[in-house]
Amino acid sequence: MQSFFQTLVSGLSFGAVYALVALGFSLVYRTMGLVNFAHGAVLMIGAYVASTFYLSARLPFAVAVPAAMAATFAVGLVIERVLRPLENKDFDLMLIGTIGAGTVLEAVAIVIWTSSGRGVPSPVRTAPLDIGGVRIGTYNLLVIGVVAVAMAALSLFLQRTKRGAAMQAVAMDHEAATAVGIHVGRSNALAFGLGAGLAALAGSLAAPLLYVSPVMGDSLGIQGFAAAILGGFGSIPGAIVGGLGIGVIGSFAAQSFQGYSDLVTFVVFTVLVMIRPTGIFGERTVNRA
Amino acid sequence: MRRWVGLVRPRVLGLAVLAVLAWLLPYRLNIYWISVADTALLFALLAIGLGLVMGIAGQVNLAQIAFFGVGAYATAILTTHSGYGFWTAALLAMAAAVLAGLLVGLPALRVQSHYLGIVTLGLAVAFLDWVTNAPVTGGDSGISGIPTPPLFGIDLSSQYLYYYLELIVLALGLAFGLFVVRTPLGRRMRAMRDDALAAGAAGAEIPVLRMMAFLLASVYGGAAGVLYAGLIHYVAPETFSIADMFLLLAMVIIGGRQSLAGCVIGALGLTVVQQELINLAAYAQLGYGLVVVAVVVFAPTGLVGIPSRIRARWRSPASRGTPANGGRGTPASVSIAQSIPLERVDCAIESDGSAGPGAARGEVLLGVSGVVMRFRGVTALDDVSLSIQAGEILGIVGPNGSGKTTLFNVISGLYRPSSGAVTLNGQVITAARPYRISQLGIARTFQHLRLFKNLSVRDNVLIGLDRTRSWWCWRYICWPLGVWRHDRALRGRAAELLAGFGLSRFGDALPGALPYGIQRRLEIARAMASSPSLLLLDEPAAGLNGEEQRQLAEIVRAIRDSGVTVALIEHNMGLVMSLCERVVVLDSGTVIAAGEPAEVARDPLVLEAYLGKSALPTEAP
Repeated sequence: MQSFFQTLVSGLSFGAVYALVALGFSLVYRTMGLVNFAHGAVLMIGAYVASTFYLSARLPFAVAVPAAMAATFAVGLVIERVLRPLENKDFDLMLIGTIGAGTVLEAVAIVIWTSSGRGVPSPVRTAPLDIGGVRIGTYNLLVIGVVAVAMAALSLFLQRTKRGAAMQAVAMDHEAATAVGIHVGRSNALAFGLGAGLAALAGSLAAPLLYVSPVMGDSLGIQGFAAAILGGFGSIPGAIVGGLGIGVIGSFAAQSFQGYSDLVTFVVFTVLVMIRPTGIFGERTVNRA
Repeated sequence: MRRWVGLVRPRVLGLAVLAVLAWLLPYRLNIYWISVADTALLFALLAIGLGLVMGIAGQVNLAQIAFFGVGAYATAILTTHSGYGFWTAALLAMAAAVLAGLLVGLPALRVQSHYLGIVTLGLAVAFLDWVTNAPVTGGDSGISGIPTPPLFGIDLSSQYLYYYLELIVLALGLAFGLFVVRTPLGRRMRAMRDDALAAGAAGAEIPVLRMMAFLLASVYGGAAGVLYAGLIHYVAPETFSIADMFLLLAMVIIGGRQSLAGCVIGALGLTVVQQELINLAAYAQLGYGLVVVAVVVFAPTGLVGIPSRIRARWRSPASRGTPANGGRGTPASVSIAQSIPLERVDCAIESDGSAGPGAARGEVLLGVSGVVMRFRGVTALDDVSLSIQAGEILGIVGPNGSGKTTLFNVISGLYRPSSGAVTLNGQVITAARPYRISQLGIARTFQHLRLFKNLSVRDNVLIGLDRTRSWWCWRYICWPLGVWRHDRALRGRAAELLAGFGLSRFGDALPGALPYGIQRRLEIARAMASSPSLLLLDEPAAGLNGEEQRQLAEIVRAIRDSGVTVALIEHNMGLVMSLCERVVVLDSGTVIAAGEPAEVARDPLVLEAYLGKSALPTEAP
């Protein structure tokens, strides 16, 4: 029982990071209808920038992370500008265009930081909590807390502010949005920048848990995308539930099947998607003829 | 005929020159470059498979590299562990790859687009995880010592001679792929890619086609894997990584995903570029990424699409003002629409009397009884019962949102009603899939045109004409000549049909380039191509001018006179009154009146609900 809870807790803390990655995918999809396969690479850039500020510039972690988010926000604006002709085009083009952008980012990271990775020490040095024999790292708790705050702030932004509502309108029908006076280009740029900022947050939070390297975004990106789909693509509660779900499935798979955790995770994921294609919180859409 | 000769000659000549060059190429290459060439040919084979499933059938497949891996690993395991001969192992490996293809294709029956993308990518990750961990695959260190394939005493351990083996396989693969694309199977796949819903309604068995697409992709992937194992004699997980999957994808997109030749060009080109840049590592990756982004942004149709884009740009300034790019509703296009003669509609339709057993004139052909259709709380159809009698023209009218199109969607199988039944000739068809209903003899058009936009006008009609079932495709393996003959026969009938609808001169055009009225007419032609017993027309006169409406009425009467029953939804009351023998009025999802037009027009309920207080026969909004 104790080991069950231990596995669950470790699954949940990775799940919180996946949820944050999923949130970035969902935000960009929901506000501009773009599936951004460069998200993992942006996350990696964020992790590198944050760790550079934290380790080399010796800034406190709480300052390094927002600084990294600001930096990737700018990166996001550039990517959005370059890929703007692809918006509202077919999925194949978005797929390969954003993958290409991700490849460029990875190459840039190798040029700047070389291809060998770096470990980042945990910014919280207190001993893990012990609840009934289940050890919970304090940093993991911090991660879960930050993720919760980020989620809440984002939903408030989308639902309570005019700009957030405008973004969602653009995703639903960009022509109609233009007609009612929304600046579609600016709205999309902001959405993409926010998505990139979220990626940096996820990357810098994941840095002490994982290992920062140019390819760290590949696996995190795929897991996060799977989480977004599992929860219901475009849905904020879906991103949370999907992220925690993928984290927990992966954690139990790693415990029971050791090396085969990816295999088990993605087979389970495939079966779940086939059972419920729209995800847990997904909207059912009706074919209009 | 002369035109044909003129077109074909240079192409055949070009192919011959290419073949000779490819044959002579090894004489000019050193040992390093011949190994690059061998790799490039394998990627080309993989790219054809990916082009078929993604570019032709529109199914996102990010597991192509896993099919490659299954082929290679199965060959390796069967030759080194189980002691099979190379070619026996190769056959079994192909079977394993096909099995993998069918498994990966299963989710395509439920999800599409980015959902399918992440699922197939996840399965590729799962495969990679398995080969890096399983004892039988040798884990990280892989499997070495795969034997060289024996071939009539030819020493295939020479990379030069192996090149020829690969070249022949690639040529055969490309020829077969092109054959598929241009004949019924590929045509249906392209139609499914453009509009799965309309393809289903035209009789294409969508689930079977999706599986077939993955099957084709896995055959190419498996073949490439087998050849890879025989070439390198060693397999390890890093060859089948996700990065290589993305590289393969880039090849297909950069080359031009809707053209198999483009896929091959992309594969050969990118492999060479990669090898050229290999020593520059990070900068090579940077350059490769930038090239991918640039091509996607500036040449979305890929390298093969560039010549036609340049040509279009070249031509456009000279011919400004003519409706070259669709020009819906411009004065020029309207005058074209008016000048198109409409000949022999009836004779084209009469040419095929195989509309099934059918009911005699006046008997009930289609019955709708007690149909209820709810969408999460909204009741679009509430206990609708009506019948369509054989040989009549039935008008279905009602205000916007009264459930007319929903009714058509239920009849044609797009929606499954919450309760109630639809019968055709007494046979219940309520739960049938759209393609089944099309095969039973119900054809339809759509309120908002749903033509296959990347298929020529002729191909659009051919989709309707082809009534074979998908299992018919075994002939592609066993009797390709039969496929070819069947296709030629279909083309003959398509020419007749196009002539009958006055569409002959547009045969090779894409629907989007035609005036709107002609597109409407094409959709009716496509529906009639399936020789239905019942034709459902959803607002066929929407957007047509007076002359086009007159022609439409003529077409509909000719269709009815050829023995096909017609039901049409229409807002233009003048047209309904003059054309229909019986009218059904829907309001808020219920039938409020039915009968002869004049009779219905006097019904107080109808006047109140639909027409307000205005005088009826003059005009509608």
